[in-house]
Amino acid sequence: MIEVSNISKQVTTSEGTLRILEQINLSLEAGESLAIIGPSGSGKSTLLGILAGLDMPTSGTVFIDGKNITAMDEEGRAAVRAGHVGFVFQSFHLLPGLTALENVALPLELQGMADALQTARAYLERVGLGERVSHYPRQLSGGEQQRVALARAFACRPAILFADEPTGNLDTGTGKKINDLLFELNAEEGTTLILVTHEKTLAERCNRRLELQAGRQLESLSGISA
Amino acid sequence: MLALKMLLRSWRGGQLGLIFSALVLAVAVVTSVALLAERVERALVKESSSFLAADLVVSSSQATDSDWLERAEQQGIRTARIASFASMTFAGDEMHLASIKAVESSYPLRGAVKRSTVPFATDESDIESVMSGPKPGDLWVDARLLPLLNIELGDTVDVGDGSFKVSHILIEEPDSGSSFSAYGARILMNWSDLPASGVIQPGSRVSYRFLIAAAEDNADNFDDYVDWLNQQLDVHDRIITPDEAQASIASTMDKGRRFLLLAGSIGVVLAGIALALASHHFANGQLLQVALFKSWGISANRVRKLYIQQIVLLAIGGSLMGLLIGWGFHQLLVSAVREWLPIALPMAGARPWITGFATGILCLIGFTLPALWHLPTQSPLAVLRRDTQVKSLNSLMRGSLGVLTVAVLLFWYSENFYLSMAILLGFAITALASIGVGLVLLRLGKTYGHWMGSIWRLALSNLWRRKKPSLIQMVGFSGAIALLMIMTVVRTSLVDEWRWQLAEDAPNHFLVNVAAYELEGVKNLVDQRELETAGWYSMVRGRITHLNNQLPSEVAKDGHESLRRELNLSWTSDLPEGNKIIQGQWWGTGNESTNNLAPVSLEEELLHELGLAIGDTVRFSVGGLSFDAVITSTRSLNWDSMTPNFYFLFPEGYLEDYPRTHMTSLYIPSEDKLLINDLLRKYPTVQVIELDKIIDRIRSIVSQVTRGLEMMTLLILGCGILVMFAAVSLSMNERLQESAILRTLGSSRRLILGVQWVEFTTLGVMAGFLAALGAEFAVAMLQRFMFSLPFTWHSWLWIAGPLGGGLLVGLLGVVYSRKAVTQPPLRVLNSL
Repeated sequence: MIEVSNISKQVTTSEGTLRILEQINLSLEAGESLAIIGPSGSGKSTLLGILAGLDMPTSGTVFIDGKNITAMDEEGRAAVRAGHVGFVFQSFHLLPGLTALENVALPLELQGMADALQTARAYLERVGLGERVSHYPRQLSGGEQQRVALARAFACRPAILFADEPTGNLDTGTGKKINDLLFELNAEEGTTLILVTHEKTLAERCNRRLELQAGRQLESLSGISA
Repeated sequence: MLALKMLLRSWRGGQLGLIFSALVLAVAVVTSVALLAERVERALVKESSSFLAADLVVSSSQATDSDWLERAEQQGIRTARIASFASMTFAGDEMHLASIKAVESSYPLRGAVKRSTVPFATDESDIESVMSGPKPGDLWVDARLLPLLNIELGDTVDVGDGSFKVSHILIEEPDSGSSFSAYGARILMNWSDLPASGVIQPGSRVSYRFLIAAAEDNADNFDDYVDWLNQQLDVHDRIITPDEAQASIASTMDKGRRFLLLAGSIGVVLAGIALALASHHFANGQLLQVALFKSWGISANRVRKLYIQQIVLLAIGGSLMGLLIGWGFHQLLVSAVREWLPIALPMAGARPWITGFATGILCLIGFTLPALWHLPTQSPLAVLRRDTQVKSLNSLMRGSLGVLTVAVLLFWYSENFYLSMAILLGFAITALASIGVGLVLLRLGKTYGHWMGSIWRLALSNLWRRKKPSLIQMVGFSGAIALLMIMTVVRTSLVDEWRWQLAEDAPNHFLVNVAAYELEGVKNLVDQRELETAGWYSMVRGRITHLNNQLPSEVAKDGHESLRRELNLSWTSDLPEGNKIIQGQWWGTGNESTNNLAPVSLEEELLHELGLAIGDTVRFSVGGLSFDAVITSTRSLNWDSMTPNFYFLFPEGYLEDYPRTHMTSLYIPSEDKLLINDLLRKYPTVQVIELDKIIDRIRSIVSQVTRGLEMMTLLILGCGILVMFAAVSLSMNERLQESAILRTLGSSRRLILGVQWVEFTTLGVMAGFLAALGAEFAVAMLQRFMFSLPFTWHSWLWIAGPLGGGLLVGLLGVVYSRKAVTQPPLRVLNSL
């Protein structure tokens, strides 16, 4: 599903060249889950951005579903993202002016789906928010907002779901519930899951783990390959 | 349609309210102004198509030559003669100085006269159009003459020595364009009644018109006749073609439209500023959405398309709404000016609607599109990294596009490059001056705020810290407030001041057109009442034919009225009171050398306007005889003295052989008003000009026009309020954050609310002060150049401006930004 070889990322600042990622390699089959772990500033989110085609590596290649996204321009990568990729973010990124239902329906509407609202409603029911479809994000708790974000991500039926610290803004109890929901949906939809987290327990629920330290892959990819 | 859906959702979320309102107001201001201007213009143009009531008119101060009539009859040319003059009319104890037009039975040759049998008829069914004037013995009169003389239709009115029956109400004559300048009620009478009335005496001020029109079947004869007629004309005659008639209307209309344009474009500029700020704010709010779109794989092109579609939809919706509101406001304006526009207003064509609509589209292109331009380039990485920067068009670029938009709009409205550039330059200078003063005020506030309590210190330093939005709000607001103040000052006090500054016993009546044989009798009447005149002046009517032995060029004639019309020439041995010699010598000092030419003293400004100098010669034609005069001195006049003033003065004896009349001015106290009755009964051809009534009339016109403009100023004030809201919106996140932090640190809501009150109120007071400064300056200019008044302070401006500004801005600002105080600090901090 996803094939990464020798990814490096450097940025040039006024104080010289900064190496953010060095020589990352990984390979993930469809339906597998991967946790990218490591301390703050180790390059987790940068790696996630590159894997999702949001950012470009300085060197190395990323293949998604057999397509070399590192050789594409932004429009080409956008086309790949449109077909394969979904996101869940630490700060939810719900649009404040839209109701829960509209937030979930928006990407479907952009895809031109005819029954976007119905599909969105069905997914909101699946995350347990069937009663709150017309609420605005500000009327929802953090946990509820992240459920809406999960519904939005899964409603598009992405092949790969990227989650950036999905419970980082939530308390432990709520975080656990969100994690349960994430894995439940993931199992049901057969999605490949790549997540960035600080949480050990969350990382342990993934079948693969990649630990980063100062931009380097600490050890070879651990976990059970499906 | 997804774009429409997105737009409606943004609307519901309140992100578009400001953009939409600013758009609607800009379109409404322009539409209302354009509709009014177009309707008035159409009315005037429509009038001018039959403006002459003929194909060609010869206007003259002399009665029409009988040769002209004979030849016209031989050649089958249709003719009609008209004599216009002012004369006293009487009915019972009442009297009125009417503007009388005596017409031959063939009048009008073109167009129709509208008359009615219902006084003050407005219903079309009560009005009939006829192709004739009154029959002998009848008068058709302006409806207002009925109450003025306390009569009804069918009653008898005396004009001069004759008595006539008022048979119809005169609604409109085709050639009534000159009625704008007529103060008296209009009366149409039959030409054949003139001798019996005896109102026209040698030397009377009468203007004659000789109307000619081609008969239906022989147009060739007409051209031949006009060629022949052209050779017969002397200096007292002037040919008026329909084109010329239109040209004078066009120039009057041009002035009016420019004035409206100026007022309207202030609204557009303010709305444009509000649009630009609100759009910038809107764009900031869209960054996350666009980043999400792009992370979902939506291409930059699709994003661009989606936003352009939204802008187009917004432009259409906002402009349509603006057109509707503009139409409503234009109705208010029309009702405000209806009374002084003595004509019916036809419906407007498509142009004002197109202008209004295009304003909306252009405003969005110029002010909103640049603010959103960078949105499609937002990086999808922004969903992961907050610090992702998107490169927006820099503010210099956006500012330039805004200025360009205003320039394009001004050029569109005025169709005159130089005028639009001049207005733009005026805006720029005003804005720069306001920004300069505003900066000084803000700086003073910060400096002195340090010595006051914590609320004041915080508030005033906030204003200084956010000086960009503070200045925008201050300048925008002060512009709108100043405009409102100027209108109010003009309406309420300027005309009063003009009257007030006349001395208590300044002459309030002019007696004109007193024939030589009536002079002694009139003098006796005045003496019996022990009234003092400003001195009697003799005058003859003459025309300038040559300047320095050269015929004035057509350009010079077009440029100066005194080369086209008859002038009043007078003579005196003593320099009249209020006159001052500027150059040269007054006669009798023996220093002037005239080479046997008549010496003449010329008014200073006219001398310059005609391009003359001391020693130059001017040839006059009086009653068909010519003589040359040499300019020996120039004088300045005191127009406010209300005494007779003459552009041309000769020494005694030079003009005494010509037919002359006499004039004076005098103060008639209200208890002696009956003098006028006695005078006019005995000497009906004497014209009494009641200045107090004229001043009242001017005041009422100025008051109506400015009242109309004041209403429009309210729209402009609305634009100013939007500028403020938009500026506050831009700093809202910062305000929220600051007050959340302050509250987290333990500050009370009272303190934060207090800071906001002080901040906005101070801003309003400063804006009001700036507005008072601007208004006082503008009023001073009006006083100096329009009303020729000495400068006076309008102290209420300096109180009402800061007070009103402080209250308005304080209240609106606190209400608009109350969110910063009412939201729980934790939620605020979390959501940022």
